[in-house]
Amino acid sequence: MKRYLETGNFAIAEAAVLAGCRFFAGYPITPATELAEAMSKRLPEVGGYYLQAEDECAAMHMCIGGALGGMKVMTGTSGPGFILYADPYGWALASEIPIVVLNSGRVGPVSGITGAPGQGEFYNVRFPTQGGNYETIVLAPNSAQEAFYLTVEAFYLAERFRMPVTLLADQLVTDGMEDISVPETDAEKAQMGLRFKDREINYGPEFYPAVDKIDIPPVVLGHNTGALCSDWTPTEEGYDTEEVEACHKHVYRLIYKVRNHKDLITRYEAFALDDDPELVVVSFGTPSRVVKSAVKKARETGMKVGALRLISLWPFPDELFWRRATYLSVELNYDGQLVREIQRACPKDSRVHFLGQCGELPGVQELLTVFQSLLDGKTISPINWQREAW
Amino acid sequence: MDYLAEKYFRIRKTPSTACSGCGLGQTQKMLTKAIDDLDLGIEDVIWATSIGCSGRQTFAMWKGDGLAATHGRIYAMMSGLTLSLPPGKKIVCTVGDGDAFGIGLQHLLNAARRNVDATVVVCDNLGYQSTGGQYSWTTPEGSVTDSSPYGMYEPNWIQDGRDILNIIREAGATFLARHMSMDGEYGLESMRKALQNRGFSLVHVIFPCITNYASTALGTRNTVNMFRWIKSRARRMDETPDKDTIWRTGVYFDASNSRPDYASVIKGKVKDIDRRSLVK
Ligand code: SF4
Repeated sequence: MKRYLETGNFAIAEAAVLAGCRFFAGYPITPATELAEAMSKRLPEVGGYYLQAEDECAAMHMCIGGALGGMKVMTGTSGPGFILYADPYGWALASEIPIVVLNSGRVGPVSGITGAPGQGEFYNVRFPTQGGNYETIVLAPNSAQEAFYLTVEAFYLAERFRMPVTLLADQLVTDGMEDISVPETDAEKAQMGLRFKDREINYGPEFYPAVDKIDIPPVVLGHNTGALCSDWTPTEEGYDTEEVEACHKHVYRLIYKVRNHKDLITRYEAFALDDDPELVVVSFGTPSRVVKSAVKKARETGMKVGALRLISLWPFPDELFWRRATYLSVELNYDGQLVREIQRACPKDSRVHFLGQCGELPGVQELLTVFQSLLDGKTISPINWQREAW
Repeated sequence: MDYLAEKYFRIRKTPSTACSGCGLGQTQKMLTKAIDDLDLGIEDVIWATSIGCSGRQTFAMWKGDGLAATHGRIYAMMSGLTLSLPPGKKIVCTVGDGDAFGIGLQHLLNAARRNVDATVVVCDNLGYQSTGGQYSWTTPEGSVTDSSPYGMYEPNWIQDGRDILNIIREAGATFLARHMSMDGEYGLESMRKALQNRGFSLVHVIFPCITNYASTALGTRNTVNMFRWIKSRARRMDETPDKDTIWRTGVYFDASNSRPDYASVIKGKVKDIDRRSLVK
């Protein structure tokens, strides 16, 4: 193992190179700029290409171009750049192109607060483009080391599912300095649980078969396969069509290749949940680290509290919320996003609460007070979760 | 069937779905003939398109690999693709005027700056015709269209001393030409030159749209009438223009192979850095 004291962005760049990424196109934006910088230094050293695009829309389109020629590719940005991915993200989802995308969350809306962490992109990464009729895969690290691990995993999933995979981090994960271990030998990689998959070429003639299977190689141009790829609804061979039946077959695959292989994607960390505690505190990303400390403290004082941290956000792990309990969602936003999914997934008579704020993390003491009042049967606010943070 | 079509086009997509009388086929044929003249095979060419009549009607006609981007984005996609394709592949691209000079101009100019090795044929039907006939940035002044019922009065990219080709030239393109779709051998020669440039080539081709432009702006649905109308407003580069002239046809700028294309620059540099990092 090589050890570093470095940022999450550095960890992501190292992981991408390890996973075989040799193409990165980006556009500078806080707090993802350091990833682009790290890639601009690292990629040429291993024979890879770093491109700086005219805007984020072009950056992700360049990545599509790189992937269409058979390369493993990546781009990275923050919320204001992520919305400019809407166009290429849709193309890549529909034509099933493997791309890894980093979205490092800051505080919104629009440019908002540039240098502080936010989690306002929870739904944006689920619906990154228009039109519907697709599922997405989103992973959310809470440390630099986990960002390393999940970046490798994102490249693996992108190949198997032949689609873009988003890493949703926040500014503390990408900018924060932490200890990072980078494996060097195969044994070390295996010990870390890293999974890898090489690019394969689809030789057709059915590039878009009407099945829910994964491990179908993506379209790669330039190998005389007669591959067709476009933004229109494809027939199984890739011809553009206006037929509803063809559309149904196509989006069936886009949706069910993910839904029917969810077990390959879903990851979470359960802490102090073995004894079915009354209160389950749910979070992802950096706030989960404070939540875990608070839950540890709470257990010491005898409170029946557990913590559930989502590592994969989408497809949403509904099954983790089937137990009747009181749920508290701790998020870095004021409007409540993750909490809505919890409320949808949990038994209808569960109590669901929301604690949200932006720019800075909640304090352990503050969390303990909230835990106690919820265990006492009180709510944080007398109305319902939509109003609780106020 | 036409021997070019038989050799290069998919049966399933021939004849094309363009309106009968449309000049798009002529434009596409000119490009295909040039490909044939240069002895390029199906496996040598990646045919890229985008949105609009020229995109939808030409997509998947090429027997080899075919690609279509969303509106205006193909130039950015090509900038990535040129780095990852196996060596020796040629990207050709049939796009519309709205795609190249409207929504995609920012990406097009940057692709020209990079000198991406691709031949872009802008199939100019003088407006947004696949959406029913609205004016674009190449619609001649005064034209009545569905979105300019009082005549097009917005400054366009081709008249009053402005020429979009000047801007693309300044951006760094290494071959530029403009033609009418009925230019025959004259246009074919430019197409061949465009393909022989290892760098960013663009050929702007004006062709008649019968269904929308001709019927709304010119009051005719007759192909020959529109051919004549275009001809009367086009002058070769070596002829003297008159007050009606809108388009000057011929090779506009030829700096073919005068500077390395994008992929050569990037790959050369990376090889260098890679080697140095090995020595370290
Ligand atoms: S609408 Fe006009 S440009 Fe489009 S295919 Fe028909 S004639 Fe050609």
